[in-house]
Amino acid sequence: MAVMKIIRSSGQFRFGITVLTLLIVAALAHEWLISLLIGDTDPRQVGAYGILESPSRNHWLGTDPYGRDWLAMNLLGLPSSLAVAGIAGIISTLLGAIVGFYSGFAGGRTDAILRTMTDMLLVIPTLPLILILGSYARGLSIVELALVLSAFSWPFAARVIRSQVLSLRERPYVELSRMSDLRNRHIIVQDILPNMLPYLGIGLATSSVGAAFALVGLTIIGLAPSGVLDLGTLLSLALEWGALSLGKWPLFFAPMTLLILLFLGAAFISQGLEEFYNPRLQGRR
Amino acid sequence: MTLQEIGASLAGSQGEADTPAKQHLMQIRDLDIHFRSDDGGLARVVDGATLTVGRNEIVGIAGESGSGKTTLVEAILQIVRFPNRETHGQVLFSTRAGKQVDLMQASDREMQRLRLDEISYIPQGSMNSLNPVVRVGDQIVDGMVAHGTNARQAKRRVTELLDRVGLEPKVARLYPHELSGGMKQRVIIAIAISMEPSLIIADEPTTALDVNVQRRIIEMLARLRDEMKVSIVMVSHDMAVHAQLVDRVAIMYAGQIIETGAVRPIVRTPMHPYTFGLMAAIPSIDKPRTRLDGIRGSTPSPRNWPAGCRFHNRCPNAMPICTSVPPLLAPVTPGVRQTVSGEIEVHSGREVACHLYEESTPDDARVGEGAR
Amino acid sequence: MSTETSQPILALREATTVFGHGPRATVANSRVSVEIPESPPTLINVVGESGSGKTTAARTLLGLQKPTSGRALWRGRDIYTLSDSERTQFRHEVQAVFQDPYGIFNPFYKVNRVFDIVVKRFKLASSKAEKQRLIEESLEAVSLRPPDVLGRYPHQLSGGERQRIMLARAYMLKPKVIVADEAISMLDVAVRAVIMNILLDFKEQLGISTLFITHDLSAAHYLGGNIMVMRQGRVVEKGTVDDVLTNPQNTYTKLLLESIPSPDPDSRWKTSASDLEVLEEQAGVSQV
Repeated sequence: MAVMKIIRSSGQFRFGITVLTLLIVAALAHEWLISLLIGDTDPRQVGAYGILESPSRNHWLGTDPYGRDWLAMNLLGLPSSLAVAGIAGIISTLLGAIVGFYSGFAGGRTDAILRTMTDMLLVIPTLPLILILGSYARGLSIVELALVLSAFSWPFAARVIRSQVLSLRERPYVELSRMSDLRNRHIIVQDILPNMLPYLGIGLATSSVGAAFALVGLTIIGLAPSGVLDLGTLLSLALEWGALSLGKWPLFFAPMTLLILLFLGAAFISQGLEEFYNPRLQGRR
Repeated sequence: MTLQEIGASLAGSQGEADTPAKQHLMQIRDLDIHFRSDDGGLARVVDGATLTVGRNEIVGIAGESGSGKTTLVEAILQIVRFPNRETHGQVLFSTRAGKQVDLMQASDREMQRLRLDEISYIPQGSMNSLNPVVRVGDQIVDGMVAHGTNARQAKRRVTELLDRVGLEPKVARLYPHELSGGMKQRVIIAIAISMEPSLIIADEPTTALDVNVQRRIIEMLARLRDEMKVSIVMVSHDMAVHAQLVDRVAIMYAGQIIETGAVRPIVRTPMHPYTFGLMAAIPSIDKPRTRLDGIRGSTPSPRNWPAGCRFHNRCPNAMPICTSVPPLLAPVTPGVRQTVSGEIEVHSGREVACHLYEESTPDDARVGEGAR
Repeated sequence: MSTETSQPILALREATTVFGHGPRATVANSRVSVEIPESPPTLINVVGESGSGKTTAARTLLGLQKPTSGRALWRGRDIYTLSDSERTQFRHEVQAVFQDPYGIFNPFYKVNRVFDIVVKRFKLASSKAEKQRLIEESLEAVSLRPPDVLGRYPHQLSGGERQRIMLARAYMLKPKVIVADEAISMLDVAVRAVIMNILLDFKEQLGISTLFITHDLSAAHYLGGNIMVMRQGRVVEKGTVDDVLTNPQNTYTKLLLESIPSPDPDSRWKTSASDLEVLEEQAGVSQV
């Protein structure tokens, strides 16, 4: 399988997949891990433990001003961040792919119409829109949040995918498939899609991470339309509390590190895919 | 002594090794260019190449894809340096100053001085590598200035150089995209002769040009040899271009030079079965319309050359010895000889690597003959 | 129905194709006409240098490039307004061999796929065994041994082998016409003869016509048949190969003929350099 080949040949890909897998496993098993740390206690319970304790054997990352175990809190926030990133990434890539494929392959008027729509969405300033959204909507679920974020990022994916499709469309093997009387939809799926997989993979990685960071940014500004506790929330709390000036490093760096790991995982997967598929980067291949 | 020298002295003819080196402009001696891949395998892209280039002559290197001809010339000029490249052998070049330099051992600085100044290189497709934002006249000047010519002198020479290659002076003010393919190629040639080198190496100089332009370029190159007393090494897969341009030709197959000599006898009465097959496969307006034969099979890969003679698995004249003993490139004894082209009169200066001709078979491999 | 059989199987009628608009427009084809009769099997060489428009003409006939004006016809019907079922039949009868044996295969799949697609699409076999037999027969028709190529990926085969697979694929379909667009220019010299011989065999043994696009006049001479010389989008001369090459009427054709290098060193160019200049001027070829 192609995936095994990539894993075998690209160190970057291996690193990225490993990091990401660890994060996902931690997120999936977060309840169990939390119970390991603090037993039955609800990690969000205020005053469960001492306030602003330094890291110790009981609390590996210490506690926050509300007396909550910080590691448990992070483990609680991690799945939400990953979920938002993942769902937003998948939706925007999927939507972008459908529009991009169709637009690039069909050409002509269809392409012109779709392209104009896409460009219009790209031009709309996203930040003000989200701020407006934020002032109206409170308490959105993870999925709703992901939908909102992907609504703004799918046009980017569509554009990139469209230009790839435009170039692939002219390949001789596509013309041969036309000579064999294959219908357009067959050509798209059999000839174009396999050659697009690396780009889709990279697109997925980038838009997922983009969504995660968009959310973090909005949360820190305090304008996220969210009712979800995620790493961004934790990070903004840490900033609010002035954790750095208090010298309580874990409060700031824990969510930050997890976010960076998410970014690194996705980035190295992207790099690995590109390294594998782009013959020019492969040196002596 | 190398095997080739032994063979030459046994055959009794004046081997290349005897001729004083001063007469030759460049001698390629037993050149190997191998590439070692990550998994330890060795790709022997050029093996044991031996060729001399005299002064004031045009030598063609002919071969198809996979023959190693482009790697050979690139390596001579140290143009490309891949990691994992292993080379053996020498390329002796006689400089204007009278020294003999082994290009394979020359330092970067020496090579830089030699390039353009004494040896010019026209790579394949080079007409597309002109700088698109600089006028062509200025590009000619740049080449000269980089080799120490005074800028004003260089500018004065541009018109003369353009005229040499058959272009009008006004072309100097044009940009590359305003020129046709043929004109661009001429500009490249003008740059190549600007420092009056003693050797020009051209890789497929006429491919991708329209046929009427091709003729002009071929005639121009011949004229340059006469007017400027420059030697040219021309690499091409097109035997017709060799037939019309070069004085001597070396045929390469699977990384080895398998036949050399004056172009006329090689092309009209080839001795090596590969050359014979090649010439028989070329359509020509002059030939009657009878079925052409191809050469069955396909070119082997450098990682996996066949044992013995590398052509044996495609050769209609293969013998048992061909599967195990590699034939030597050896001078052919002059006289009337029986060859794959029938009975022909062989003059001196031809070399062939084929067991059909006893010169190519090392003594210890000859069955039932005993050493001479 | 009798009118149907007198229709050429494939035809261009005054086809003009223009790319781009306004001052930057290029005329790729200008009023190009050519006909391939239903029978007898015919070989037409379309010869021209770069920019002559020969590839555009080929692509127009293959349904890949709609002409700006004029018509491209298959059995009298406009190729660009065929119904789905008509198009299937068109694709069955008109096949192509392209220039680039490397790009013609999707690197993702084994080479078998090109056979599988046509067998399925055109219902060439009714059982797996029959399909296998058909594939093997087609490979043997182009002198390829089935175990050498089946199951391989494109990068494992040589350019000549890949091009022959394309011809095997065409053989399977037993089309009426093969449009070969520079089918030999990226191949080694020895392999070119093999490919040309296959096309000749297809004509003589299977009754398949070929439209052979090339810049190589020597190849056109070898294949024989008819010839059409193109230059800058226009057809400048038409006729049989023997007529046109021995007695060219058009100055440009003469210029091309005079320029071909012969593989015989004794056969040097007959026209002198100055005569060549005269020819160039007459043909309107600017300083090359």
